[in-house]
Order: sequence, then C-alpha cells, then structure tokens
Amino acid sequence: MKSLALEGVSVRVGARTLLDDVSLELRTGEFLALVGPNGAGKTTLLRALLGLIPTTAGRVLVGTEPLSALTARARAAEVAWLPQQPPPAEPVPAREAVMAARYRFDETRAVTRRAAEHALERVGLAGRAAAPLSELSGGERQRVAVAALLAQEARFLLLDEPANHLDPAQQGETYALLGRLLESDVGILCITHDVNLLNHVRAAPRVAGLRGGKLGFTLELGAPELPERLSELFGVRMLALRAGSSRLIVPAPPDTPGGEP
Amino acid sequence: MTRRALLLAGTSLALMALAVLVGPRLEGAEGAFILWQLRVPRVLVGGLVGGTLALTGAAFQTLFANPLASESTVGTTAGATLGALTALALDLPGGFPVLFGCACLGAALTSLSVMLVARSGRAAMSDVLLAGITVTVATGALSVGLQYVSDSRALVAAARWSLGQLPQVGYEGVLVLAPLVVPAWLVLLALGRALQTFAFGEELSASRGVNVSRLRTLVLAASSLSVAACVAWCGPIAFVGLIVPHVVRRSVGPALGRVLPLSLVTGATFLVLCDGLARSVSPGRELPVGVVTAALGAPALVLLLFRARKA
Repeated sequence: MKSLALEGVSVRVGARTLLDDVSLELRTGEFLALVGPNGAGKTTLLRALLGLIPTTAGRVLVGTEPLSALTARARAAEVAWLPQQPPPAEPVPAREAVMAARYRFDETRAVTRRAAEHALERVGLAGRAAAPLSELSGGERQRVAVAALLAQEARFLLLDEPANHLDPAQQGETYALLGRLLESDVGILCITHDVNLLNHVRAAPRVAGLRGGKLGFTLELGAPELPERLSELFGVRMLALRAGSSRLIVPAPPDTPGGEP
Repeated sequence: MTRRALLLAGTSLALMALAVLVGPRLEGAEGAFILWQLRVPRVLVGGLVGGTLALTGAAFQTLFANPLASESTVGTTAGATLGALTALALDLPGGFPVLFGCACLGAALTSLSVMLVARSGRAAMSDVLLAGITVTVATGALSVGLQYVSDSRALVAAARWSLGQLPQVGYEGVLVLAPLVVPAWLVLLALGRALQTFAFGEELSASRGVNVSRLRTLVLAASSLSVAACVAWCGPIAFVGLIVPHVVRRSVGPALGRVLPLSLVTGATFLVLCDGLARSVSPGRELPVGVVTAALGAPALVLLLFRARKA
C-alpha cells in the first residue's frame, strides 16, 4: 500500500489564502470524495497534489518522498489528472487525444496506440477511436478524457467532477468504472457536487469536506452525521432519503418539514 | 492519412528536384556551370531556409497554442532582422559570424519577450499576435533609424539584404547554413511527442510527464538559432512558417508526428518554388524571393484571420 498525502499544506496567492494548513492522506485501494461549495479550494487542492502549483507551507508526499523531488515523468507515474473541462472540440482523433496521455512511457507508437484503443474500449468508445473530437458530443469527449486518465496508468487518479457533461446513465457508469479500478490497487480522489453518485462505487468511499481552504471533516459515506455535516458545509438543509439499500442525501426543497435526520 | 502524407512528401521532394530546371535551357560548359554552381546551391539553400521557417512555424503554433503564431508573426524574424541590420548598418567587421551572432541575439530576445506575454496568464490568441506586431513595428522603426545614421555603402548593402533573397554562387551558403539549421531540425523533430502532448494544454501535459520549461527553452533556442541563421544569410523571408503548416494540417490532419516532418519538406519546396517564380516573373530580372512569399502570405494571413474569427 502506498499513500499520497498533503502535510500541513497552505497555498497563498497574493493576499488570498486558497488552502489553509490542510492535511489529507489518500491510500491505494481507497476512494476519497472531495466536496465543498464553489471557491472552497477543491481544484487548488488537486493542483497541489499534482505538483502544478507551489505550496506556501507544508509538503506533498508520495510514500515518504516529497512529490517535488520527482522528475516530471516519475510524477506522471504516481498521479494523473482529469481536469474539469473536457478536451476542446478540435479535429484531433479521439485515439490521438488518449495517446498523448502515454507520454511517460518509453514505447513504440504501435504499443501506445493499442493501449489508447484499449482505454477507449473501457469507457465504451471502442468504435469511435478514429472520430475527431470535434464530431463527438460533450459527454463523449468527457469519456475520452476518462480514457486518457486510464491510459496514463498512474497509481493515484485525481478527478475534477468526472460526471460533468454526462447523462445520468453515464454518470453512474463512470463512477462504477472508477470503483472497479480500486481492485487494481489505485487510489482515487474525486471532486464532486453529488455524493449520491458515490453509491455506484462498490468499496466504501470516504467524503472530505472543504470550505474556505480548510478541511472541515472526513467521514465514511455511510456515517450517520454526514447529512448534517454537508448541511453545514453548503449552508443549505440536506435531507437523507432511503432508496433500497442506499441512502440519498439531497438539498431540501423550500418549505419541506421534517425529513431524516 | 499515411498514404496522403507519403504522397505530399513525395510530391514535394520531386518538385524541389525539378526546380533546378526552372529558367532558360542549359547547354555546354556554361550550362553545367550554371546548373552546378548557381541553380543547385540556390535550391539547396532555399530548401534549408524554407524547411527551417516552416518547421519553426509548426512548432510555434503548438507552443504558443495559437494557429497564427509563426516566426514572422511573433517577432523572431523581426528580432533577427534588427540584430543583423545593426551589424550591417554599423558596418561591423567580422563577416557572417558577427552578422549571425547579432541576428541570434535579436531573435532570442524577441522570442523570449513575446513568450513572456503569452505566458502572462490570460493572454488571448490576439494578444500574442499583437505583441509580435509591436516588436515588428518597433524593429521597422529602429532599422530606419539605423539606416539614417549609417553611410551610403552600408545602406545599400542593408537595403538589398532586407528584401530577402537566395541568389549565390557555389556552396558556401549550404556549408554555412546546414551545420546551423540541421541540428535545430533534429531537436524540433525529436520534441514532436512532447509538443503533441503539450497541444492538449500546458498543465495537463505537465501532469502527463512533460517537462514544460525544458520543452519551451529547447523549442525557443532551436528556433531562434536556426531562424537567425537563415535571416543572417538570406535576409528576412516572411510568411513561410505561417502558411505551410496550415496547408500541411489541412491535408494530413493535426497529428504533429506527421505535421512537423511534412512542414519541413513542404516548406523547403514552397520556398524553392517561390524562388523559381521570383526568377521567372520577368525575363532578365529577378524579384527578391521575400517579395513573392509576402505577396502570397499576406492574403493567406487575412484568410486565416477570417477563419479564426468564424470559429
């Protein structure tokens, strides 16, 4: 088991504090969801874990080694990133967009190509490998981005709202796919606005709440106090509803009495 | 796509070889001299220069994430021109090495300053271009100033040079240019995979293992050096690096693994053909090749701007 961790990390830009003394650990085989209101510092946290922004205080560690000590290629073997925006609609074939994620590998173009096609297959785009991104829908481009993330074969996957641009069926499928990846010993950190999608992840995910650059809580998805903590985090009353064996946490419609809890 | 790429490369090379036949028919010893001492070296130098400019243009378009970037629009050519003109107008001793050194310095300084503008965060596509135009205009003004203070002999030399031309006798140009531009080609071609990854976004490419600052330094250094060598030898030749990569992309798609080498080959042919045109427009008289590329390039730039606006 390996870990990717923030140790007392602060990020300041000018007078603004984007992250304030955050400590967080992600282990392989684990799914951690990062939630918080807009501007809470979620994307900044991801960028710090990727080594894309310098930290003002604290360290980012892979195992026991500082992330900053790794070469760019070695870092790409540890952490991979799915940005919030899907790749732009340019006339680049989907396959080519996924192949670019294999930069860290010293391999022939044929091997890269096969790996890219395999990754596209896993996200259900096997027949679209040659299609230019400009001819794909927003949802399909998002799946190309997920395929690229898989193709990089990094140990830790950091995703910024992977369900963006996807219809409900694809949202569920994407989270189920991420859940299955945990079996191959990767660690996943995923920014989301919808904790209910985590029900598609088989393993028990943890949920970390970030607000104003500070880490508020880290709880199991099934923790009884989660709805209340989410209510505090977002400043809106959340209801917990039962649906089969799952619990759904949703914002209360106006004038709703009661609810559980 | 692969077949099309091979076809484009084959046609380009064949056209370049045929370019030595442009002009009056050659006969006897005089004809042999004209062929081997005038036309062949001229085609070779044209190929070296055209290939360099087009390859640099293709690399710049990716590095600046801007389809209108090229060595002539972001100011590299202008910087090299100013550097070389300074040497010419001040009649500096030392010949080509000094001229080349001055051009190199000018090219490196302008590429670097435009790159800083491009990196300053929210720089839009047009900002980079504006920075390049600013550098070009400033260079123009400075060169006029330089010509004003220099003597008439230096002035004539500077004016002739600044039109951009390829004529030469013998192989000195090939021997001077090849060792300066061919290593730069190899560097740029070797960076194809990194540039292709970079094309999907700077931060994303960094997260995928590209050492972005190293990539940037290598592309800028290789481009500045090779463009400066071309400018110092032939004078400024505009628009090759802007048009050729676009034509190549339109025919073989945007994958840089194909675009970079094909820009090199097609750029070489394009400049050689432009030079053929410059030689044969009016019998007995030659146009500078820079005039021909500018005449073709300016409307092409307008067309590209229109396209960019539509998209």
